[in-house]
Amino acid sequence: MEFLNTIWEWLTTGTMGKIWGWMPSLFKATGVTLSLSFLCVIFGLVIAVFLALGKISKNKILRGVCGAYIFFFRGTPLLMQLFFLYYTLPLLIPAFNIKSRYLVALIAFTLNVAAYLAEIIRAAIQSIDKGQLEASKALGLTYRQAMRIIIIPQAYRRMIPPICNEFVMVLKDTSLVSIISLVDLTCQTKMIASNAASAVVYIPAMIIYLVITAIFTVIFNKIEKKLSMYE
Amino acid sequence: MAIIRTEHICKNFGHIEVLKDVSLSVEPGEVVCIIGSSGAGKSTYLRSINHLESITSGKIWIDEKLIDDRVRGTNKVHISAAETTEVLLNVGMVFQRFNLFPHKTALENVMLAPMTVKGVSKEDAEAKARELLTRVGLADRMDAYPSKLSGGQQQRVAIARALAMEPKVMLFDEPTSALDPELVGEVLNVMKQLAEEGMGMIVVTHEMGFARDVADRVVFMDGGRIVEDAPPAEFFTNPKNERLREFLKRSLQEN
Ligand SMILES: Nc1ncnc2c1ncn2[C@@H]1O[C@H](COP(=O)(O)OP(=O)(O)OP(=O)(O)O)[C@@H](O)[C@H]1O
Ligand SMILES: [Mg+2]
Repeated sequence: MEFLNTIWEWLTTGTMGKIWGWMPSLFKATGVTLSLSFLCVIFGLVIAVFLALGKISKNKILRGVCGAYIFFFRGTPLLMQLFFLYYTLPLLIPAFNIKSRYLVALIAFTLNVAAYLAEIIRAAIQSIDKGQLEASKALGLTYRQAMRIIIIPQAYRRMIPPICNEFVMVLKDTSLVSIISLVDLTCQTKMIASNAASAVVYIPAMIIYLVITAIFTVIFNKIEKKLSMYE
Repeated sequence: MAIIRTEHICKNFGHIEVLKDVSLSVEPGEVVCIIGSSGAGKSTYLRSINHLESITSGKIWIDEKLIDDRVRGTNKVHISAAETTEVLLNVGMVFQRFNLFPHKTALENVMLAPMTVKGVSKEDAEAKARELLTRVGLADRMDAYPSKLSGGQQQRVAIARALAMEPKVMLFDEPTSALDPELVGEVLNVMKQLAEEGMGMIVVTHEMGFARDVADRVVFMDGGRIVEDAPPAEFFTNPKNERLREFLKRSLQEN
């Protein structure tokens, strides 16, 4: 009994007690981190498919535009893109004064992630043997039909692992949004650390990040195994 | 009435001339074998016929329809891409490396093009595919994925896949070169049977026995030109071209 009391004491008072007290706000902020990561990867994927197909198309203008987009978003820091969207764009075009910080972050991340995902998709499509397209063409399939029925279904299996990888990267990169005071897990942690003058909060925060990435890594490994079974 | 007629075909890759004034015709039901050493332009010629490469200059007729009349790359024939594709459906092609669709079963590989391109119903496409796969001796392997088939079996599926589009002529680019020696025979037998049934074909091959037994004409390509074109009896016993004589001597020594 005495022993249990000691444990209870340790868990509810002092440092541990404080940590428990922070948990609800940390979990709430984790929700922002997770939803932002998910949404920007999903929206980013939609844009990325078009960017990738554009970059490998025979149309020079389309290829140029898509190439420039990808070059720009991969060639400048994400942090600056975020600042640009939040501070600069409203100055240049007042209509772009978006009130919601969440929306600004989502747009910036979506646009950025799309560029990276586009390269993943393009690489996967171009890794498919040229003979597949030639055989399709020799059978009378159009380029579109060949892409839709032959090339993309094969490329799809090869792009899943790097896309999962990208998701885990994005999950961590979203911590950048704390810089525009959107309350994600990192921002919440920083706020607690300054208010309570207690830097211990970084420990549970990092553990939360680790647990999430661990869970997704396990899930993604399972998916990867399943996909490789059909190779 | 030629099923394939090509005149004065030239093809450059950059500054390299790969085909230099190649003219060749194939009558319906005729079997033409092309032999020649590596780099002679045999593949490039076959690929030019069904537009996997675009020629620099020359004329191509398929089934008496002019689809290419090129001068310095520009086509003087006014023909839409769709129309060209339609005409080229008369030409089937079989590749050295099979190029089967790995995510589809043998049966699906054969059914795919008729359904997608010709709008054939699934039932009809499947019935036809089963018949073709049986014809090439694969009745028991129809539901296998290509990765589960031997090279010889894969190549026979590829032949069935091309036949499903009911072409009038078939192009074979070294169909047995990627096969283990013991699997060559089964593919050549299918091709021979096809020839006997009256299918016209151009076969790029190193199989001299096949050329001698099955071909109506044998063509020797060297340095981007056709330098000999004769019936097999004459081609093999009385070759006129000096390079061909060397080539035949070498291939006799190898075998
Ligand atoms: N896409 C290409 N770009 C540049 N050069 C090419 C290309 N394709 C083929 N060539 C060149 O054209 C020449 C003829 O090639 P081709 O493949 O037609 O020869 P081939 O007679 O089929 O030889 P092989 O017996 O090795 O298959 C070669 O010198 C080759 O290097
Ligand atoms: Mg070749």
